[in-house]
Amino acid sequence: MHKCECEQPLVPVIVEVMDIKDETPDIKSFFVKNPGGNGLPFNVAPGQCAMVSYLPVGESMISCTWQEEQEYLQFAIKRVGLMTDELHQIEVGQKIGLRGPYGNGFPVEACKGKDMLFIAGGIGLAPLRSFIKYCFKHREDYGKIKIIYGSRSYADLCFKDELFELWPQQKDTEVFVTIDNAEEAWKGHVGFVPSYLEELNPSSAGTIAVTCGPPIMINFVLKALEKMGYNDEQVITTLEMRMKCGIGKCGRCNIGSEYICLDGPVFYLAQLRDLPQEY
Amino acid sequence: MKVLSKSKLETALNKLNQSAEVFLPMQKDKESGFYSWKLFNQGQDELMLNALNVYLPPKNVVLPQTERMYSIKQEGQEIKIDKTFEDSSPRVIFGARPCDLKAILCMDDVFLTRGYEDSFYKCRREAITIVANACFQPGPACFCAAMEINPLEPAGADVIICDAGEAYSWEAKTPKGEALTAQITEYLEEKSLSLPAAKPFVQDVKYEGVAEKLKGMFNNHIWERLGESCHNCGICTYVCPSCYCFDIQVKMWGDEGYRFRCWDSCMYEEYSREAGGGNPRGSGIERFRNRFLHKLEFFKERYGTPLCTGCGRCIVACPAGINIVKIIDEIKEAELDA
Amino acid sequence: MKDISNKIREIAQTLFKEKKIDVFLGWEKGALDFQTVPFIARSEADARKLVFDEYSIHNLATLLLKFRDGSEKIGIAAKGCDSRSIVRLLEDKQFARERLHIIGVGCPGMKDPLQAIGMYSGLKKQQGDGNALAAKCYECVQPNPVIYDDLVGSQQPSRLTGERFARVNAMEQMNADERYRFFEDTLSKCIRCYACRQVCPACNCRTCIFDEMKPQWVGRENSPEDNMMYHLVKASHMAGRCVECGECERVCPVNIPLMLLNQKLIKDVNTFFGPYEAGMNYVEGAKPPLSSYSEKDPDDFI
Repeated sequence: MHKCECEQPLVPVIVEVMDIKDETPDIKSFFVKNPGGNGLPFNVAPGQCAMVSYLPVGESMISCTWQEEQEYLQFAIKRVGLMTDELHQIEVGQKIGLRGPYGNGFPVEACKGKDMLFIAGGIGLAPLRSFIKYCFKHREDYGKIKIIYGSRSYADLCFKDELFELWPQQKDTEVFVTIDNAEEAWKGHVGFVPSYLEELNPSSAGTIAVTCGPPIMINFVLKALEKMGYNDEQVITTLEMRMKCGIGKCGRCNIGSEYICLDGPVFYLAQLRDLPQEY
Repeated sequence: MKVLSKSKLETALNKLNQSAEVFLPMQKDKESGFYSWKLFNQGQDELMLNALNVYLPPKNVVLPQTERMYSIKQEGQEIKIDKTFEDSSPRVIFGARPCDLKAILCMDDVFLTRGYEDSFYKCRREAITIVANACFQPGPACFCAAMEINPLEPAGADVIICDAGEAYSWEAKTPKGEALTAQITEYLEEKSLSLPAAKPFVQDVKYEGVAEKLKGMFNNHIWERLGESCHNCGICTYVCPSCYCFDIQVKMWGDEGYRFRCWDSCMYEEYSREAGGGNPRGSGIERFRNRFLHKLEFFKERYGTPLCTGCGRCIVACPAGINIVKIIDEIKEAELDA
Repeated sequence: MKDISNKIREIAQTLFKEKKIDVFLGWEKGALDFQTVPFIARSEADARKLVFDEYSIHNLATLLLKFRDGSEKIGIAAKGCDSRSIVRLLEDKQFARERLHIIGVGCPGMKDPLQAIGMYSGLKKQQGDGNALAAKCYECVQPNPVIYDDLVGSQQPSRLTGERFARVNAMEQMNADERYRFFEDTLSKCIRCYACRQVCPACNCRTCIFDEMKPQWVGRENSPEDNMMYHLVKASHMAGRCVECGECERVCPVNIPLMLLNQKLIKDVNTFFGPYEAGMNYVEGAKPPLSSYSEKDPDDFI
């Protein structure tokens, strides 16, 4: 059999899990590098994804929550299905498969000079975090930053050290955290993200809003933003669908003629208006 | 012109078979499809080059229903991918009708363009030479001409043959086709041949404007009525020459195994079901709508051509009698919702 | 049959007019002469399109399942085999009897539209003169409806001539190796389109074992092993449930003799737990042999 010389986008590279961190009871962060700790297999821009695989079981498309250059790729993964169940069992040192980077990523250049409003729910903070941290890294390129984030409970809030310690200390940055139901020890805001957003009513002037979370939250957030005067070019969201190939071939993640894995996952609301409402 | 006499066909096939696996339309027992010339049983099987077409398309030659991708080996925390299984052994599809050829071109668009080349498809495809069999007598369920195909001179063939009764005209169209011609040059004669006159299509299908109109019909009430008798089985997608959706799965025995891909069908509920249980196309009607929009609108928007090639197989196979021609008609006639 | 057609239409229209039903499951004419297709009528006007002719072969009972979670009152036309399927669905408590208004039709035997269009299109080889009934109809033991509110058409005699389980007996005569090879050959052809499952009125599980991914019980590889696993598991789920409507075998695009497996199990259920014929008469609360448990069962559990 002739050995093929072409690029093999569907064949993963092997990486090593260097560290695992519990974020919430059902979300863990996995820090990966080339085996033996020699650099990264590829670079991932903010908002891009990669196919993460516990090879004997399956592959899942996961948004890369942060790339620390030369240091690690970080994936925050919620336990929801077969593959992610298995991943949650592994220990540091485990080799896993990785292929990517996939998707368009956030328009970090186009947003320069703007005030940024990030609105996330649950694991939806994971993709936004790559953009948030990018803004902090290039702090002078962006204006004021507001982050509104909510989860079901305090325990379910991801990246707590950053939410409560690191991010609020950043220049011109405000972080607003809410949980769905009151808890005894919780002194902060209680309520759903969309209504908290309306309460805070951040000005739309010169601002780009970026949102990610469960579909129901996104729906209400988009409505709230519209009410608050954000136009469709000021709102960015990320979509999610079942994926298998990650390179726009296997068919299932289409919305209209767009493939989320390839043409997304990041869309301006203006682009979504042209697509069937199937997400 | 070059001519291959039908009396020399089998010796020519035997010759081609020495350097490539040759797939031809055949009737085998009750089934008809594209099978390897190696599997042809003289006396039992029937060569179907002269028939209109066969029930199963040559899709599995370019995109096998199941295809191994790479090996997986696990040792403790170590995992190895020792082998990948790209297959670039030479193959010939001999006698593909223009509808089936066009379907392969559609798959070329998917697998070889838009940012990524699928290595498994590419290796296999580059080693395939296609001899297309021009159609002069469209069948009653055919409508390829309406789907932007020229049945007499199909684009994209390496060789085009035309059935002129006792012999086929033989015209190489590409370097690959020339190479194939060179292999059997001793069986080809140079003479003139009168080709049959093209017969008109039985069905009149008007696809013009359908893709554009569908853009405004995602939420039209028409889908419910068109799709409610659909069983959501996968026959239409599996007998379709151009449906290419696939799944990627793994098979392990203990610590060793392999990843493979296999045909999938957008008709199945599991196809778009997310790990968390949600499904953007959870109902049969939504899946039905997505399939027809993909065929008639989405693919055209993305690749400039419809994903239906007018072969008529889904019409013939659908247990519920769903007829894509009728659906095109109804779309044409439908009133747009206000 | 024109007569039957008219009566079904009349009754359905009256039922709509009197608001006794919300939908009616019947057949309408498709694009081609021999395409008579399942049709869901939702109004008196729709009901005018209803037909019953020699191609009304589909078992409409599967369409019923699309309504099982609703509260609609449903009219349905049912031939003998369809009516047995309805009985099975009632026994499995998929529907309350009160929701259904059944127009039973004594069935004179149907032609197969799939055969007809296959030959018409040129994609299938000519078989016979086109006037023959569908193969399954020559094996029919119950052409008359077993449950109905209205009855149309005349009582029909059983069309089975010869030995009912002839195919099964022949298979039983094979030795184990021959039988394994036979099934390996036959089932290797399967393309896993699941049409046999989707048209089966006995397949009423909400989540099918073959669609479960967590755990995944049956592999998706198109290999003899995975295909056999699919067909054997499916056939054993049919034991005591199959009403011999033969739709699975009729729609199979690669001609797998699915009824052979089903009939083997019909025969065995009858032999070991019978006498039993699935769906032959509706007795409220009745259960097929493999769905009931008795402390007096002679065998231990599994």
